[in-house]
Amino acid sequence: MRARNLGLASCHTCGLLQRLPVGGHGHCPRCGSSVHLRKPNSITTTWALLLTAMIAYLPANLYPVMSVVSFGKRQSDTIISGVIYLFVHGDWPLALIVFVASVLVPLLKMLALLYLLLTVQSRSPLRKQQRTRLYRIVELVGRWSMVDIFVVALLAALVNVGTIATIEPGTGAIAFTAVVILTMFAAASFDPRLIWDHNGEA
Amino acid sequence: MNQPVRLEASESTLLACHECDTLHRIPPLTPGHTARCRVCGAKLLRNPKGGLDRAIALYSTALILLLLANAFPFLTLEIGGRSEITNMAGASWSLYRAGMPELAVVVFITSIAGPGLLIVCSLYVLLALRLRLRVPGVRLALSWLSHLEPWVMLDVFMLGVLVAFVKLGNMATMHVGTSLYAFVALIGVAAAATSSFEPQLLWQRLGVRRRR
Repeated sequence: MRARNLGLASCHTCGLLQRLPVGGHGHCPRCGSSVHLRKPNSITTTWALLLTAMIAYLPANLYPVMSVVSFGKRQSDTIISGVIYLFVHGDWPLALIVFVASVLVPLLKMLALLYLLLTVQSRSPLRKQQRTRLYRIVELVGRWSMVDIFVVALLAALVNVGTIATIEPGTGAIAFTAVVILTMFAAASFDPRLIWDHNGEA
Repeated sequence: MNQPVRLEASESTLLACHECDTLHRIPPLTPGHTARCRVCGAKLLRNPKGGLDRAIALYSTALILLLLANAFPFLTLEIGGRSEITNMAGASWSLYRAGMPELAVVVFITSIAGPGLLIVCSLYVLLALRLRLRVPGVRLALSWLSHLEPWVMLDVFMLGVLVAFVKLGNMATMHVGTSLYAFVALIGVAAAATSSFEPQLLWQRLGVRRRR
């Protein structure tokens, strides 16, 4: 039995199960936040955030995320070239983690959200459990992509020794952060219960 | 105001899965057990071991460690006879200095302000419930917590520190500061604190607000 079929909604903030008044909107008697049967405009909002993230993904990978200025020479690194540098000079387990966090995760996350949106919109009855699990993973791993931004921030803070060496953050870092944040918001605005609602958007 | 669904047997909890909307009647859980959705497997409710006291102890420790992690030098870099010391806030400050205030704000929120707010709000709610204090804003603080959680990225920051270490290892000498030790301890304590904290149970203790 599903809550929807009984006209019951659970609060997005505190989870209290409640009967919605006619019209389908109300305020939670326990935490005071507004309650809806499903997250409002879930599909549209997720699409908008996802498409914006996809556009920002291009400058995020094409522009350098940081530059090393040493004795007047400037060397710029993109996300990808930073991972390659780690593979060559660092130890490969760490390089693998960074590769997964900053290259694989953002890409797979956007593809996963795309897949979830398309299957929900086509009212697909297939693999509901797997799709719910996919959503859970997307929600969980997204934040790890921020690792490269922290690295750039730390390097820029540490390496600032006049003419010997300076590390500057690059424009790619802004675009990359935008991708991470936009996909996190996209995942948050997607309502996984739509996977289980046969009659499309709520 | 909406009509809350009341139960005949007040001991069990009626919940709809937040991922697939399946209704569940959950019997009281023994400490250390988790109820999962039988349809999609999502976590529905946990009853952490140790109750409120353990959570209060862990969040208090986390607060002290967070303060320590921000009070001392984090890393020192030596290069060509000169040294550069940075603290936790240095990471976001360097971005601000480089003309990227928006990035600086994101790093500041995820590494300092977010964790700080999360720990303080959690302690506020836990202490109010434990000491049965009638203080304002308990519900508001508990609401914030559920939205704040994904933006607290201490563990991700730690991975960033590791990567920065490796990247600079062959061009300079690095010294670990007091803050970094506090920070590593904070990661462990924060993880334990999170698993000792179940907002659902706290909401149940707070109950439905009476009409004013």
